[in-house]
Amino acid sequence: MTKAGKTALIIGGGVAGMEAALRIGQAGFDCVLAEKEEVLGGTVLQLSSSFPRWENPLELVEERISQLKLCGRIKIMTATSAIESRVSKHGYSVTLQSRNGETTNLDIDAVVLATGFGMMDVSVYGEYGYGIYPEVVNSLEFEARIKAWSAGLGKVPEGVAFFKCVGSRDRSKGYPYCSKICCMYTAKQAGLVKDMFPYTKVYVFYMDYRAAGKCYEEFVREVIEKKHVTYVRGRPAKILPEGGKLLVRAEDTLIGIPIEVSVDIVVLASAAVPRRETGPLAEMFGAKADKYGFLERQRFSLAKASDRVFFAGGCGFPLETLAAQQEGASAAAEVIELFAHE
Amino acid sequence: MQTKRVINPGERIPRVPEAVFLFRSCTGSLEYPGTESAVKETLKFLGVEAVTDPDQTCCSGFLQACSAYKPEFCLAVTARNLAIAEKKGLDTYTFCNGCYTGLSEFSHTLLSHQDQRAAANELIGRWGYRYEGRTAVYHVQEMWYRLKERIAEGVVRPLKGLRVAAHYGCHYLSAQYGILDDAGYPTFHEELFEALGATPVFYKERQLCCGYSVGRGFTHKEAIVQPHLHKKIKSAAVAGVQLMTTVCPGCNVALDREQPNLNRLYGEEFHIPVIDLAQLIALALGVPASKLGFAANTTSLDHVLKKLNCDKGS
Amino acid sequence: MDADTTYRPLFLNHIDDSLRTEIKRNCSVDVELCMECGKCSGGCPNGHVFDYTPRKIVQLVKLGDRQTLMTMDALWICLSCQACVDRCPSGIDIPAILDYMREKACRTGAKTSRPLVRLFHELVLSSIRGHGRVSELDVALKYNWKAGQPFKDARLGMRMLFKGKFRFYGNGVKQRAEVRRLFEKSVIAKDVS
Repeated sequence: MTKAGKTALIIGGGVAGMEAALRIGQAGFDCVLAEKEEVLGGTVLQLSSSFPRWENPLELVEERISQLKLCGRIKIMTATSAIESRVSKHGYSVTLQSRNGETTNLDIDAVVLATGFGMMDVSVYGEYGYGIYPEVVNSLEFEARIKAWSAGLGKVPEGVAFFKCVGSRDRSKGYPYCSKICCMYTAKQAGLVKDMFPYTKVYVFYMDYRAAGKCYEEFVREVIEKKHVTYVRGRPAKILPEGGKLLVRAEDTLIGIPIEVSVDIVVLASAAVPRRETGPLAEMFGAKADKYGFLERQRFSLAKASDRVFFAGGCGFPLETLAAQQEGASAAAEVIELFAHE
Repeated sequence: MQTKRVINPGERIPRVPEAVFLFRSCTGSLEYPGTESAVKETLKFLGVEAVTDPDQTCCSGFLQACSAYKPEFCLAVTARNLAIAEKKGLDTYTFCNGCYTGLSEFSHTLLSHQDQRAAANELIGRWGYRYEGRTAVYHVQEMWYRLKERIAEGVVRPLKGLRVAAHYGCHYLSAQYGILDDAGYPTFHEELFEALGATPVFYKERQLCCGYSVGRGFTHKEAIVQPHLHKKIKSAAVAGVQLMTTVCPGCNVALDREQPNLNRLYGEEFHIPVIDLAQLIALALGVPASKLGFAANTTSLDHVLKKLNCDKGS
Repeated sequence: MDADTTYRPLFLNHIDDSLRTEIKRNCSVDVELCMECGKCSGGCPNGHVFDYTPRKIVQLVKLGDRQTLMTMDALWICLSCQACVDRCPSGIDIPAILDYMREKACRTGAKTSRPLVRLFHELVLSSIRGHGRVSELDVALKYNWKAGQPFKDARLGMRMLFKGKFRFYGNGVKQRAEVRRLFEKSVIAKDVS
């Protein structure tokens, strides 16, 4: 890395991190994009489709990767994590370690944290049997199922039920916040199942559906009205195993009667939580996190967590792909502004 | 009060006491005296002395479930009962979910409301009782789970894979905080079954309430409680359950004594004996069946005892 | 006779938050935390028999509908199993609301759909007052008599008698006076005859 110019370190190679690296690199500054997995792409790699346009998310990832590679100022380091950091004269002196044990020392002038979000462990909801019944899965695990079905693998289900708000909007056992994207991705997943298996019964158990975005409401209505997914208002109370299937017990709150439905698979739209790496990294770089571990931005700023430290994407709060990219670009803008004035 | 929901047994009972105040249950000690014997035998095996006192009264917790009153009465009664345990310097252990809830909820109210405690103490002070909150309230099922290894080591009559189903009842798990398992999917009874050499059965309506809830089994038995019990016992029968355990004498009454009525009303042939968890443990520990009061059970467990080679005599 | 087709919407302007604050003060339950998800009703073992499911009961508090709360059927057939509270994402204690409303219903003499349940509770309390404990024989006999089904449990009663399950005499505790004094000091004791 040229010591003469400025260097930014982006930790996290998901769509937010890639966007930040791309913008900073294209603006003419050096940057290092460190990703702990073997490949770039983050959570989006696990997705089988996208909302609201039903596009293949891998195409976006591939597009970004080729752009990154074309830009001469970006050094991509996969299978690499940041393990240590010291404040230095112009910024930070960071030690990166790759999976085979090799360490690299970097002097950087700014860091962008883009470590993304993960799924809450919903086994705490014993009434739903996650971790007990193999056919109760969380939404990310279900994306893998959808991919398998698309490849012709796996048994065709007769019935699938989606539970929204598992862990979200729950002051008792989960988190009080709304995880923002589950209403949309659940509609997406439900729609995909119906596309693949038109005769399969698909139910979505909801309290509300939140579709605040361009083409979002139309997307959900399409899933309900054109793809014929059944939406039932009521948070399920329990899952019982019966006859080799899963029996869901809930109330249809709109009429106010108890209902039961027997399905093969239950998908729990689990609360989004910051990934474990976020906490230690926040501490390493003096970034503030809220009580759930999501990074906090300073007042009046878009992406600044602390001096020379910025963040973007799911590590700040769960959000959809486009929004993560936009946050990556915002973080990049603040880094560029910082570099340009020094 | 504890802010964590599920805590592990070592945290719940940090040090196993040498003696405890065993709180007798109105329903338990009278309907199923064998349950009380089993509890005492098991405590004895575990090296814990069970101290009782005839001065105690009913916990009065059942009134809360009936509730057409104000709790001052129950608070005074609870304060008086716990004062007895306090005077002996012992923690209170009960073997009934109802007593557990009654005693712990009321004692929590007494301890967190200075004025209520003062009022209760004033009432009971007339006869020399005083409650200061120095006795903690537990259910013996917590002790069994805490000392699961010791019980496992002491099994001399392994239960030969007997298909045993748990009925946890509602009122221990409904405490929600500071208890050994979560009501969502409790498993600590099943762990005890395995320690005793039995096969736990997870039947469909495992977590359904027994339906008796103080008085409901009397006031609308046919209309509501019997269909409800039918649902429960049917699902156990379908799952091939051979024996069911409870940790609440109230539940025991419902599940045990209604079976002949259900058979008559619904043309069923249910025969699932229902006993207290302590009785099952005591059997496995080698306590003779004659000491465990099974004559009080409506649904006889003679065939089970025979299968385990512990017919009435031995 | 034609059905009553008078348009009678619930006029929200007439609703104040007095019931809500009363419940909050007396039962420590804040119904504003309810997000109307229905998980309580979904798991209620008696939900199918209730005229107002648990979620609806909370909604009744929000609407200040004391009348319905005191006269509804669900008030007396709740099993207090606590499944609703356990699963509620906001921890709303519905049994506590019902306990409180039952007490109010008794005290105000509200018309109930299940007078026999009220009768049962009153007999239990009067038995305690009289004997110092609940004498099941006392309660059972009086209940069946007053409920107009004097011989309902006669056969069972006979079997129990022969098995020595109860006695006709000596059903009181030794220190009846103590219990009675406790009882009388409790404010509501006056309401039980």
